[in-house]
Amino acid sequence: MNSSPAIEQDAPDLVCQLDNVQGMVDALTCVRWKRHQDALVELSEHGIVLIVEESGCLQAKVYLQREVWISPKPSNSIHQTVESVMLYVCEKLFTKYEYGAEGRPRFGISLGLLVDCLNTFSSPGHSNTIEIKYPGPDMELLLKSVDTLNSCIYSEIRTRIPETSEWDYNFEQAGTAPLTFTVKSAALKEAIDDLEWPGSSVQISLQKSPPCVTFRGEGHGDLQIDFMYYANTDLLLAFHCDTEVSYGYKYKFLKAITANIPGNVARENRGSKLTIGRGGMLKVQHLVSVAKALAPQVESAGYQPPSRIAYIEFFVKPEETA
Amino acid sequence: MEFSISGNALKSFARSIICLARVGNELVVQASPTQLGLHTLNASRSAYQSITLESSFFDAYAVQGPQAHFSVLLKAVCSVLRTPVASIDHMSVQLPDHDASKVKWALECYSGMKKTYWITCNVEPDIQHLSLDRRRFPSSLVVHPRNLSKLLGNFQSSLQEITIIATDQTSFPSDAASEIGGKAVEFQSYVDPTKDGDSLLHTKLWIDPSEEFLQYTHAGDPIDITFSLKELKAFLSFCEGCEADIHLFFEKAGEPILMAPKFGLGDGSSSSFDATLVLATMLVSQLQEGVPPGPPEAANSTGGNAAEQVGSEPQERSRQSAFEQPSDHTRVWSELSGTGTKSISGSEERPQAQGQQDVNIQRIREMDISKGGAPAGDNAPGPSNSQRPTQMDHAEGSRVRAENNQSFSQRHPSNWVDASEDEDEDDEDGVEATPPHNEDY
Repeated sequence: MNSSPAIEQDAPDLVCQLDNVQGMVDALTCVRWKRHQDALVELSEHGIVLIVEESGCLQAKVYLQREVWISPKPSNSIHQTVESVMLYVCEKLFTKYEYGAEGRPRFGISLGLLVDCLNTFSSPGHSNTIEIKYPGPDMELLLKSVDTLNSCIYSEIRTRIPETSEWDYNFEQAGTAPLTFTVKSAALKEAIDDLEWPGSSVQISLQKSPPCVTFRGEGHGDLQIDFMYYANTDLLLAFHCDTEVSYGYKYKFLKAITANIPGNVARENRGSKLTIGRGGMLKVQHLVSVAKALAPQVESAGYQPPSRIAYIEFFVKPEETA
Repeated sequence: MEFSISGNALKSFARSIICLARVGNELVVQASPTQLGLHTLNASRSAYQSITLESSFFDAYAVQGPQAHFSVLLKAVCSVLRTPVASIDHMSVQLPDHDASKVKWALECYSGMKKTYWITCNVEPDIQHLSLDRRRFPSSLVVHPRNLSKLLGNFQSSLQEITIIATDQTSFPSDAASEIGGKAVEFQSYVDPTKDGDSLLHTKLWIDPSEEFLQYTHAGDPIDITFSLKELKAFLSFCEGCEADIHLFFEKAGEPILMAPKFGLGDGSSSSFDATLVLATMLVSQLQEGVPPGPPEAANSTGGNAAEQVGSEPQERSRQSAFEQPSDHTRVWSELSGTGTKSISGSEERPQAQGQQDVNIQRIREMDISKGGAPAGDNAPGPSNSQRPTQMDHAEGSRVRAENNQSFSQRHPSNWVDASEDEDEDDEDGVEATPPHNEDY
């Protein structure tokens, strides 16, 4: 099926294989904050992007990239032994990725349906390989299990023509330098969970000196959570701020950002990067591991097996200031 | 006022708050220069918990002026302690001045996060005091919380009230021919006769105090006490967390019971920390006339009417607040009591109190609980205080209810006639249903 699209018009736009369904389920679950959500899927030669949006204020993107260049062990020297030459590893998220479309096909799909469907392919403890194909005879998304010899699970999911409205949130840098900080994802989640008590609006402020990020909620009670840069080197992993800013966001949107982060993110001590753009638009980036569950003996001293990563991005519009 | 705690003291504090939250809704904090008191009273005024912390309990403790107090919702404090205690380095609480509207609770976490909560104070705190001298209770028992949990595990988890019947251990030898043997204490599930379709399961448990309890003191005639299980369970978890045994003080039906943790010898934490839980008990004794609870020993003394065993009264199942002044001995039978199955022997006090309206109202009022901390009973009707009956309260008969028009009952008096008969039958059946020891296997 590798002939040029011009000759074979019915060649699918995409046929790819993924050998860890659970990873994809974890990544997509991160952006699942409601029972019924419509997602927009865009296919390209670089990978799959899934976009979810709510009420014009919150948008999430999941990037399942075909190839991910990651550095498992940071090192600056180029004079390395053979083993450590593998400093930058090209991790293939997909074991097979055949892209045959012109341009970038887009379709709408129910996110809940997709995740629930993928879940049926995934059995705990195993690494299940599935094949994803688009489009089917009636523009469906086709999923098929390919690692079992005697049986096969097969599913078709109906897709929709996507809405024409533009979901681009146009994130722009705030000023001359980005206003950004990176915080442990687990800590961010804990803070946002605690902020459920006060009220419906949270103020996020960045302060230059002392370098500090503050989350504040006010309602029938007040709560302020401070992340001081110098308090603990593990908490705020990065911090850039040259002007002090403060914007308010609806609690329910902030909650959506961290509510469904899978357990492995906290276990692997990953950080989430938050950036405040022009007008107060908040961008949050998480890294979710979609790696196979590896056997323990692979981890030799000091060498961490490269993980396959999916990028999750959230955009939150600030509340209108009265 | 302000204070700061960390480490094990913080764990104890968190445990205290959790227990208080299971008893009442509002937390009253009273600080004097030497100690901090945390109290709560439940909505139906049938449970009162108090925890006292000496100033040495805290890392830092300061009170401006003779005293400071405030009242906040326990739910809010539980939100503060939502952060796992293990991840908190220290917590500090600050009330800026006497009429501040918010109390500041600040947590410094090991992760580097600093969380500051401002909780709004209740505007008109309902500050109550209840002080009961433990020495006034003639009977008591000490039990390990896990043992008590195990015993309570025999009862339905949905059971709301339990009856403990205590008899004199020496009144019958342990090798008695009776099936009950040396089991001087009985636990019985209490079933509210007025609730329709309520539990079809009645449970009774006979206990040998020497085996199950660490200490047991009861002399004289059998008595019974019926009280709410929910607060007992909360206190159980609390004592277990503190690694203390539960000390239960009681007297008889109608009188309140008092619970306190009993720390082992040489336990340093006991010196700076004290807790008590006082529960109201049902006024009506569950012990039936002529039908002794455990031992088949016949009711003693006065004829068919055992001195401490009160017959059922169809119309006067009045369960009054147990927070009565113990000095009020004059309990008068109401004219409504037509059964005549009781007699008032001079020195004994009948826990059942029917009576003229005035006496009734006065009795409810004369609790040791009073506003502003004065321990004396207050005869004047307080705005929110006195006339409100406890959840165990209910109007006796229609006539009494009409008289005592402030009582609003959850239970219909009209069912009493049937209910009492049921109870009689149940008790008889219960005694017979004891599994005989001579079963063949």
